[in-house]
Amino acid sequence: MMRNLSLILVQMLYLSDLFAAEAGMPQLDPKYWASQAFWLILVFSILYISISKFYLPKIKKNLEDRENKIKEDLDEANNLKNISEKKLKDYENIMTNATREVTKILLESKNILNKEIQVKKSAMEKEIESEISKAQREIINLKKESINSINSISEKIAADIIEKITGDKLNESSIKATAEEISKKNLVKYL
Amino acid sequence: MQQFTVHKIGPEIKIAGIDLSFTNASLFMVISASLICLFLFLSTKQKKIIPDKLQLISEMLYSFVAKMISDTAGSKAKPYFPFIFSLFVFVLICNMVGMLPYAFTVTSHIIVTLIMAIFIFIAVTVIGFIKHGFKYLSIFVPSGVPAVLLPLITIIEIISYLSRPVSLSVRLFANMMAGHTMLKVFGGFVISLGLLGGWLPLSFSVALTGLEILVAFLQAYVFAILTCIYLNDALNLHH
Repeated sequence: MMRNLSLILVQMLYLSDLFAAEAGMPQLDPKYWASQAFWLILVFSILYISISKFYLPKIKKNLEDRENKIKEDLDEANNLKNISEKKLKDYENIMTNATREVTKILLESKNILNKEIQVKKSAMEKEIESEISKAQREIINLKKESINSINSISEKIAADIIEKITGDKLNESSIKATAEEISKKNLVKYL
Repeated sequence: MQQFTVHKIGPEIKIAGIDLSFTNASLFMVISASLICLFLFLSTKQKKIIPDKLQLISEMLYSFVAKMISDTAGSKAKPYFPFIFSLFVFVLICNMVGMLPYAFTVTSHIIVTLIMAIFIFIAVTVIGFIKHGFKYLSIFVPSGVPAVLLPLITIIEIISYLSRPVSLSVRLFANMMAGHTMLKVFGGFVISLGLLGGWLPLSFSVALTGLEILVAFLQAYVFAILTCIYLNDALNLHH
Protein backbone atom coordinates (compact mmCIF):
# COMPACT_ATOMS: atom_id res chain seq x y z
CA MET A 1 0.00 0.00 0.00
CA MET A 2 2.70 2.39 1.09
CA ARG A 3 4.76 1.33 -1.85
CA ASN A 4 1.95 2.03 -4.27
CA LEU A 5 1.26 5.39 -2.71
CA SER A 6 4.90 6.40 -2.86
CA LEU A 7 5.04 5.27 -6.47
CA ILE A 8 2.04 7.45 -7.33
CA LEU A 9 3.60 10.33 -5.41
CA VAL A 10 6.87 9.96 -7.29
CA GLN A 11 5.00 9.77 -10.53
CA MET A 12 2.99 12.88 -9.71
CA LEU A 13 6.14 14.74 -8.78
CA TYR A 14 7.75 13.63 -11.99
CA LEU A 15 4.74 14.69 -14.01
CA SER A 16 4.38 18.03 -12.26
CA ASP A 17 8.06 18.61 -12.81
CA LEU A 18 7.59 17.79 -16.48
CA PHE A 19 4.75 20.24 -16.77
CA ALA A 20 6.61 22.82 -14.77
CA ALA A 21 9.38 22.77 -17.31
CA GLU A 22 6.92 23.52 -20.02
CA ALA A 23 4.56 25.48 -17.86
CA GLY A 24 4.99 29.02 -19.12
CA MET A 25 3.83 29.52 -22.66
CA PRO A 26 6.85 29.95 -24.90
CA GLN A 27 4.91 32.71 -26.62
CA LEU A 28 5.24 34.88 -23.55
CA ASP A 29 8.99 34.47 -23.29
CA PRO A 30 10.40 37.78 -24.55
CA LYS A 31 13.78 36.33 -25.40
CA TYR A 32 13.14 36.06 -29.14
CA TRP A 33 10.47 38.74 -29.53
CA ALA A 34 12.82 41.18 -31.15
CA SER A 35 14.12 38.50 -33.48
CA GLN A 36 10.63 37.41 -34.49
CA ALA A 37 9.53 41.00 -35.04
CA PHE A 38 12.62 41.74 -37.06
CA TRP A 39 12.31 38.68 -39.26
CA LEU A 40 8.56 39.12 -39.66
CA ILE A 41 8.99 42.69 -40.85
CA LEU A 42 11.84 41.72 -43.15
CA VAL A 43 10.14 38.69 -44.68
CA PHE A 44 6.77 40.35 -44.98
CA SER A 45 8.24 43.48 -46.57
CA ILE A 46 10.04 41.41 -49.17
CA LEU A 47 6.91 39.38 -49.78
CA TYR A 48 4.79 42.53 -50.04
CA ILE A 49 7.15 44.19 -52.47
CA SER A 50 7.48 41.14 -54.69
CA ILE A 51 3.73 40.56 -54.70
CA SER A 52 2.76 44.15 -55.35
CA LYS A 53 5.51 44.81 -57.90
CA PHE A 54 5.65 41.54 -59.81
CA TYR A 55 2.89 39.07 -59.27
CA LEU A 56 -0.29 41.12 -58.83
CA PRO A 57 0.27 43.29 -61.92
CA LYS A 58 0.85 40.11 -63.91
CA ILE A 59 -2.35 38.49 -62.70
CA LYS A 60 -4.25 41.73 -63.16
CA LYS A 61 -2.91 42.20 -66.65
CA ASN A 62 -3.79 38.67 -67.57
CA LEU A 63 -7.33 39.03 -66.24
CA GLU A 64 -7.77 42.31 -68.09
CA ASP A 65 -6.32 40.82 -71.25
CA ARG A 66 -8.81 38.03 -71.07
CA GLU A 67 -11.68 40.43 -70.46
CA ASN A 68 -10.56 42.59 -73.38
CA LYS A 69 -10.19 39.56 -75.59
CA ILE A 70 -13.70 38.42 -74.72
CA LYS A 71 -15.03 41.90 -75.31
CA GLU A 72 -13.23 42.18 -78.63
CA ASP A 73 -14.46 38.78 -79.72
CA LEU A 74 -18.02 39.72 -78.79
CA ASP A 75 -17.70 43.02 -80.65
CA GLU A 76 -16.36 41.26 -83.69
CA ALA A 77 -19.15 38.71 -83.56
CA ASN A 78 -21.69 41.52 -83.34
CA ASN A 79 -20.05 43.30 -86.25
CA LEU A 80 -20.09 40.18 -88.36
CA LYS A 81 -23.69 39.59 -87.42
CA ASN A 82 -24.63 43.12 -88.50
CA ILE A 83 -22.74 42.73 -91.73
CA SER A 84 -24.39 39.43 -92.51
CA GLU A 85 -27.80 40.88 -91.71
CA LYS A 86 -27.08 43.77 -94.04
CA LYS A 87 -25.94 41.39 -96.73
CA LEU A 88 -29.08 39.36 -96.29
CA LYS A 89 -31.19 42.48 -96.61
CA ASP A 90 -29.28 43.51 -99.73
CA TYR A 91 -29.80 40.09 -101.18
CA GLU A 92 -33.51 40.25 -100.46
CA ASN A 93 -33.72 43.71 -102.04
CA ILE A 94 -31.94 42.49 -105.11
CA MET A 95 -34.23 39.52 -105.31
CA THR A 96 -37.42 41.58 -105.03
CA ASN A 97 -36.11 44.07 -107.59
CA ALA A 98 -35.21 41.30 -109.94
CA THR A 99 -38.60 39.62 -109.66
CA ARG A 100 -40.29 42.96 -110.18
CA GLU A 101 -38.21 43.61 -113.25
CA VAL A 102 -38.81 40.16 -114.58
CA THR A 103 -42.56 40.51 -114.27
CA LYS A 104 -42.31 43.90 -115.90
CA ILE A 105 -40.33 42.54 -118.81
CA LEU A 106 -42.69 39.61 -119.07
CA LEU A 107 -45.69 41.91 -119.16
CA GLU A 108 -44.12 44.20 -121.72
CA SER A 109 -43.13 41.43 -124.05
CA LYS A 110 -46.55 39.91 -123.67
CA ASN A 111 -48.17 43.19 -124.60
CA ILE A 112 -45.91 43.64 -127.59
CA LEU A 113 -46.59 40.13 -128.75
CA ASN A 114 -50.31 40.58 -128.29
CA LYS A 115 -50.27 43.77 -130.30
CA GLU A 116 -48.30 42.17 -133.08
CA ILE A 117 -50.60 39.22 -133.11
CA GLN A 118 -53.56 41.55 -133.20
CA VAL A 119 -52.13 43.54 -136.07
CA LYS A 120 -51.31 40.46 -138.08
CA LYS A 121 -54.64 38.93 -137.28
CA SER A 122 -56.58 41.98 -138.45
CA ALA A 123 -54.47 42.20 -141.62
CA MET A 124 -55.12 38.57 -142.34
CA GLU A 125 -58.81 39.00 -141.67
CA LYS A 126 -58.98 41.95 -144.03
CA GLU A 127 -57.20 39.99 -146.71
CA ILE A 128 -59.46 37.01 -146.19
CA GLU A 129 -62.53 39.20 -146.31
CA SER A 130 -61.42 40.88 -149.51
CA GLU A 131 -60.66 37.49 -151.02
CA ILE A 132 -64.05 36.20 -149.99
CA SER A 133 -65.89 39.20 -151.41
CA LYS A 134 -63.90 38.92 -154.61
CA ALA A 135 -64.82 35.27 -154.90
CA GLN A 136 -68.44 36.02 -154.21
CA ARG A 137 -68.47 38.70 -156.84
CA GLU A 138 -66.97 36.30 -159.33
CA ILE A 139 -69.56 33.70 -158.42
CA ILE A 140 -72.36 36.19 -158.91
CA ASN A 141 -70.91 37.23 -162.25
CA LEU A 142 -70.57 33.63 -163.28
CA LYS A 143 -74.16 32.98 -162.34
CA LYS A 144 -75.39 35.97 -164.25
CA GLU A 145 -73.39 34.94 -167.28
CA SER A 146 -74.59 31.40 -166.99
CA ILE A 147 -78.23 32.58 -166.88
CA ASN A 148 -77.68 34.64 -169.96
CA SER A 149 -76.04 31.75 -171.77
CA ILE A 150 -78.81 29.40 -170.53
CA ASN A 151 -81.39 31.83 -171.96
CA SER A 152 -79.68 32.09 -175.32
CA ILE A 153 -79.14 28.31 -175.45
CA SER A 154 -82.75 27.57 -174.52
CA GLU A 155 -83.97 30.11 -177.11
CA LYS A 156 -81.90 28.46 -179.74
CA ILE A 157 -83.00 24.97 -178.68
CA ALA A 158 -86.68 26.04 -178.56
CA ALA A 159 -86.44 27.65 -182.06
CA ASP A 160 -84.76 24.53 -183.43
CA ILE A 161 -87.32 22.18 -181.86
CA ILE A 162 -90.25 24.27 -183.13
CA GLU A 163 -88.70 24.47 -186.59
CA LYS A 164 -88.19 20.70 -186.71
CA ILE A 165 -91.71 19.92 -185.48
CA THR A 166 -93.71 22.54 -187.37
CA GLY A 167 -91.37 23.23 -190.19
CA ASP A 168 -91.61 26.96 -190.07
CA LYS A 169 -89.84 29.64 -188.28
CA LEU A 170 -91.46 31.38 -185.44
CA ASN A 171 -91.02 34.95 -184.47
CA GLU A 172 -87.65 35.24 -182.78
CA SER A 173 -88.76 37.86 -180.30
CA SER A 174 -91.76 35.88 -179.11
CA ILE A 175 -89.59 32.83 -178.47
CA LYS A 176 -87.15 34.97 -176.53
CA ALA A 177 -89.90 36.46 -174.38
CA THR A 178 -91.34 33.05 -173.60
CA ALA A 179 -87.92 31.54 -172.78
CA GLU A 180 -87.10 34.49 -170.54
CA GLU A 181 -90.40 34.13 -168.78
CA ILE A 182 -89.90 30.44 -168.14
CA SER A 183 -86.29 30.83 -167.13
CA LYS A 184 -87.20 33.66 -164.79
CA LYS A 185 -89.77 31.41 -163.18
CA ASN A 186 -87.36 28.50 -162.77
CA LEU A 187 -84.07 30.20 -162.29
CA VAL A 188 -85.24 32.27 -159.37
CA LYS A 189 -84.69 29.17 -157.26
CA TYR A 190 -80.94 29.14 -158.07
CA LEU A 191 -80.14 32.74 -157.68
CA MET B 1 3.98 23.27 -25.47
CA GLN B 2 7.26 22.14 -26.90
CA GLN B 3 5.98 22.74 -30.41
CA PHE B 4 5.76 26.46 -29.71
CA THR B 5 9.29 26.95 -28.44
CA VAL B 6 11.55 29.15 -30.45
CA HIS B 7 15.16 28.16 -30.79
CA LYS B 8 18.10 29.63 -32.54
CA ILE B 9 19.31 28.26 -35.86
CA GLY B 10 22.82 29.10 -36.91
CA PRO B 11 25.00 31.84 -35.45
CA GLU B 12 23.79 34.47 -33.05
CA ILE B 13 23.07 37.79 -34.70
CA LYS B 14 23.19 40.78 -32.40
CA ILE B 15 22.56 44.30 -33.60
CA ALA B 16 22.93 47.13 -31.07
CA GLY B 17 22.66 44.65 -28.23
CA ILE B 18 19.38 43.19 -29.48
CA ASP B 19 19.26 39.49 -30.27
CA LEU B 20 18.03 39.15 -33.85
CA SER B 21 19.18 35.56 -34.39
CA PHE B 22 17.67 33.45 -37.12
CA THR B 23 15.25 31.06 -35.40
CA ASN B 24 12.90 28.30 -36.41
CA ALA B 25 10.13 30.92 -36.44
CA SER B 26 12.13 32.96 -38.92
CA LEU B 27 12.80 29.81 -40.93
CA PHE B 28 9.12 29.05 -41.26
CA MET B 29 8.33 32.65 -42.17
CA VAL B 30 10.89 32.35 -44.95
CA ILE B 31 9.47 28.97 -45.99
CA SER B 32 5.93 30.36 -46.13
CA ALA B 33 6.97 33.43 -48.08
CA SER B 34 9.03 31.29 -50.45
CA LEU B 35 6.09 28.96 -51.00
CA ILE B 36 3.89 31.93 -51.84
CA CYS B 37 6.46 33.36 -54.21
CA LEU B 38 7.03 29.98 -55.83
CA PHE B 39 3.32 29.45 -56.29
CA LEU B 40 2.78 32.92 -57.71
CA PHE B 41 5.82 32.57 -59.93
CA LEU B 42 4.65 29.25 -61.36
CA SER B 43 1.08 30.40 -61.77
CA THR B 44 1.97 33.61 -63.57
CA LYS B 45 4.81 32.18 -65.63
CA GLN B 46 2.64 31.50 -68.66
CA LYS B 47 -0.05 33.89 -69.58
CA LYS B 48 -2.81 31.93 -71.16
CA ILE B 49 -6.18 33.06 -72.35
CA ILE B 50 -7.55 29.76 -71.12
CA PRO B 51 -5.82 29.25 -67.78
CA ASP B 52 -4.38 26.00 -66.50
CA LYS B 53 -5.11 24.84 -62.97
CA LEU B 54 -2.35 26.76 -61.24
CA GLN B 55 -3.11 29.96 -63.08
CA LEU B 56 -6.78 29.51 -62.33
CA ILE B 57 -6.05 29.18 -58.60
CA SER B 58 -4.04 32.39 -58.54
CA GLU B 59 -6.71 34.22 -60.52
CA MET B 60 -9.44 32.93 -58.21
CA LEU B 61 -7.38 34.03 -55.22
CA TYR B 62 -6.96 37.44 -56.82
CA SER B 63 -10.65 37.89 -57.52
CA PHE B 64 -11.57 36.46 -54.10
CA VAL B 65 -9.47 39.08 -52.29
CA ALA B 66 -10.52 41.80 -54.72
CA LYS B 67 -14.19 41.01 -54.09
CA MET B 68 -13.63 40.89 -50.33
CA ILE B 69 -12.06 44.36 -50.40
CA SER B 70 -14.60 45.95 -52.70
CA ASP B 71 -17.48 44.46 -50.69
CA THR B 72 -16.25 45.68 -47.33
CA ALA B 73 -14.22 48.80 -48.02
CA GLY B 74 -15.47 49.99 -51.38
CA SER B 75 -13.54 51.22 -54.38
CA LYS B 76 -11.47 53.68 -52.36
CA ALA B 77 -9.54 50.80 -50.84
CA LYS B 78 -8.03 49.81 -54.17
CA PRO B 79 -4.53 51.19 -53.44
CA TYR B 80 -4.33 48.93 -50.39
CA PHE B 81 -5.20 45.80 -52.34
CA PRO B 82 -1.61 44.49 -52.60
CA PHE B 83 -1.14 44.85 -48.85
CA ILE B 84 -4.36 43.04 -47.97
CA PHE B 85 -3.61 40.38 -50.55
CA SER B 86 -0.11 39.82 -49.12
CA LEU B 87 -1.46 39.83 -45.58
CA PHE B 88 -4.17 37.31 -46.35
CA VAL B 89 -1.90 35.00 -48.30
CA PHE B 90 0.89 35.23 -45.75
CA VAL B 91 -1.34 34.47 -42.77
CA LEU B 92 -3.11 31.71 -44.71
CA ILE B 93 0.09 29.97 -45.78
CA CYS B 94 1.67 30.37 -42.33
CA ASN B 95 -1.41 28.74 -40.80
CA MET B 96 -1.42 25.98 -43.38
CA VAL B 97 2.29 25.28 -43.11
CA GLY B 98 1.80 25.07 -39.36
CA MET B 99 -0.64 22.22 -39.93
CA LEU B 100 2.16 20.02 -41.27
CA PRO B 101 3.68 17.65 -38.71
CA TYR B 102 6.87 18.96 -37.08
CA ALA B 103 6.26 22.35 -38.59
CA PHE B 104 6.36 25.54 -36.57
CA THR B 105 3.27 27.72 -36.62
CA VAL B 106 4.43 31.29 -37.07
CA THR B 107 1.00 32.75 -36.34
CA SER B 108 0.70 30.93 -33.02
CA HIS B 109 2.99 33.53 -31.49
CA ILE B 110 1.37 36.58 -30.00
CA ILE B 111 4.29 38.80 -30.90
CA VAL B 112 3.93 38.02 -34.61
CA THR B 113 0.20 38.64 -34.75
CA LEU B 114 0.52 41.65 -32.47
CA ILE B 115 3.07 43.29 -34.73
CA MET B 116 0.86 42.78 -37.73
CA ALA B 117 -2.18 44.07 -35.85
CA ILE B 118 -0.35 47.10 -34.47
CA PHE B 119 0.97 47.92 -37.92
CA ILE B 120 -2.56 47.72 -39.31
CA PHE B 121 -3.92 49.79 -36.44
CA ILE B 122 -1.34 52.53 -36.87
CA ALA B 123 -1.63 52.50 -40.63
CA VAL B 124 -5.43 52.71 -40.54
CA THR B 125 -5.32 55.55 -38.01
CA VAL B 126 -2.77 57.47 -40.07
CA ILE B 127 -4.82 56.92 -43.25
CA GLY B 128 -7.92 58.15 -41.43
CA PHE B 129 -6.22 61.33 -40.24
CA ILE B 130 -4.69 61.96 -43.67
CA LYS B 131 -8.02 61.52 -45.44
CA HIS B 132 -10.25 63.37 -43.00
CA GLY B 133 -7.99 65.44 -40.74
CA PHE B 134 -9.39 66.02 -37.27
CA LYS B 135 -12.83 65.11 -38.53
CA TYR B 136 -11.63 61.52 -38.23
CA LEU B 137 -12.17 61.84 -34.49
CA SER B 138 -15.89 61.87 -35.21
CA ILE B 139 -15.60 58.11 -35.58
CA PHE B 140 -15.87 58.07 -31.76
CA VAL B 141 -19.11 60.06 -31.78
CA PRO B 142 -21.85 58.06 -33.46
CA SER B 143 -24.75 60.09 -34.79
CA GLY B 144 -28.30 59.67 -33.56
CA VAL B 145 -27.32 58.96 -29.99
CA PRO B 146 -29.16 60.79 -27.17
CA ALA B 147 -27.05 63.54 -25.61
CA VAL B 148 -27.23 61.87 -22.19
CA LEU B 149 -25.60 58.71 -23.47
CA LEU B 150 -23.07 60.47 -25.67
CA PRO B 151 -20.15 60.64 -23.19
CA LEU B 152 -20.57 56.99 -22.30
CA ILE B 153 -20.85 55.89 -25.90
CA THR B 154 -17.83 57.94 -26.87
CA ILE B 155 -15.75 56.33 -24.13
CA ILE B 156 -16.90 52.89 -25.22
CA GLU B 157 -16.09 53.71 -28.84
CA ILE B 158 -12.61 54.88 -27.89
CA ILE B 159 -11.98 51.75 -25.87
CA SER B 160 -13.24 49.52 -28.67
CA TYR B 161 -11.09 51.39 -31.17
CA LEU B 162 -8.00 51.06 -29.01
CA SER B 163 -8.64 47.39 -28.34
CA ARG B 164 -8.71 46.61 -32.03
CA PRO B 165 -5.06 45.55 -32.31
CA VAL B 166 -5.39 43.41 -29.21
CA SER B 167 -8.55 41.65 -30.36
CA LEU B 168 -7.20 41.22 -33.88
CA SER B 169 -3.92 39.71 -32.77
CA VAL B 170 -5.23 37.64 -29.87
CA ARG B 171 -7.97 36.14 -32.06
CA LEU B 172 -5.50 34.72 -34.54
CA PHE B 173 -2.87 33.74 -32.01
CA ALA B 174 -5.32 32.07 -29.61
CA ASN B 175 -7.07 30.17 -32.35
CA MET B 176 -3.86 28.81 -33.76
CA MET B 177 -2.40 27.98 -30.39
CA ALA B 178 -5.56 26.37 -29.04
CA GLY B 179 -5.96 24.24 -32.13
CA HIS B 180 -2.42 22.97 -32.06
CA THR B 181 -2.53 22.38 -28.32
CA MET B 182 -5.70 20.39 -28.70
CA LEU B 183 -4.18 18.30 -31.45
CA LYS B 184 -1.19 17.71 -29.24
CA VAL B 185 -3.36 16.72 -26.27
CA PHE B 186 -5.32 14.22 -28.34
CA GLY B 187 -2.10 12.93 -29.87
CA GLY B 188 -0.80 12.43 -26.35
CA PHE B 189 -3.94 10.49 -25.43
CA VAL B 190 -3.40 8.19 -28.39
CA ILE B 191 0.06 7.32 -27.04
CA SER B 192 -0.97 6.96 -23.39
CA LEU B 193 -4.06 4.84 -24.12
CA GLY B 194 -2.13 2.60 -26.44
CA LEU B 195 -3.40 0.14 -28.98
CA LEU B 196 -6.56 -0.71 -27.07
CA GLY B 197 -8.06 2.68 -26.25
CA GLY B 198 -6.13 4.92 -28.59
CA TRP B 199 -8.51 4.66 -31.49
CA LEU B 200 -11.05 7.07 -30.09
CA PRO B 201 -8.64 9.99 -29.57
CA LEU B 202 -7.04 9.12 -32.90
CA SER B 203 -10.33 9.54 -34.70
CA PHE B 204 -10.83 12.79 -32.79
CA SER B 205 -7.40 13.82 -33.91
CA VAL B 206 -8.28 13.16 -37.52
CA ALA B 207 -11.51 15.12 -37.22
CA LEU B 208 -9.72 17.94 -35.43
CA THR B 209 -7.11 18.12 -38.18
CA GLY B 210 -9.89 18.79 -40.65
CA LEU B 211 -11.37 21.37 -38.32
CA GLU B 212 -7.99 22.99 -37.85
CA ILE B 213 -7.48 23.33 -41.59
CA LEU B 214 -10.85 25.05 -41.74
CA VAL B 215 -9.86 27.29 -38.83
CA ALA B 216 -6.53 28.06 -40.48
CA PHE B 217 -8.34 29.32 -43.57
CA LEU B 218 -11.09 31.03 -41.60
CA GLN B 219 -8.72 32.92 -39.33
CA ALA B 220 -6.69 34.17 -42.26
CA TYR B 221 -9.95 35.29 -43.87
CA VAL B 222 -11.17 36.94 -40.66
CA PHE B 223 -7.84 38.68 -40.21
CA ALA B 224 -7.97 40.06 -43.73
CA ILE B 225 -11.63 41.02 -43.63
CA LEU B 226 -11.27 42.81 -40.29
CA THR B 227 -8.39 44.75 -41.78
CA CYS B 228 -10.70 45.69 -44.63
CA ILE B 229 -13.40 46.79 -42.19
CA TYR B 230 -10.96 48.96 -40.23
CA LEU B 231 -9.75 50.39 -43.52
CA ASN B 232 -13.35 51.07 -44.49
CA ASP B 233 -13.87 53.03 -41.26
CA ALA B 234 -10.83 55.12 -42.07
CA LEU B 235 -11.70 55.70 -45.73
CA ASN B 236 -15.44 56.26 -45.47
CA LEU B 237 -16.58 58.10 -42.38
CA HIS B 238 -20.06 56.79 -41.78
CA HIS B 239 -20.90 58.63 -38.62
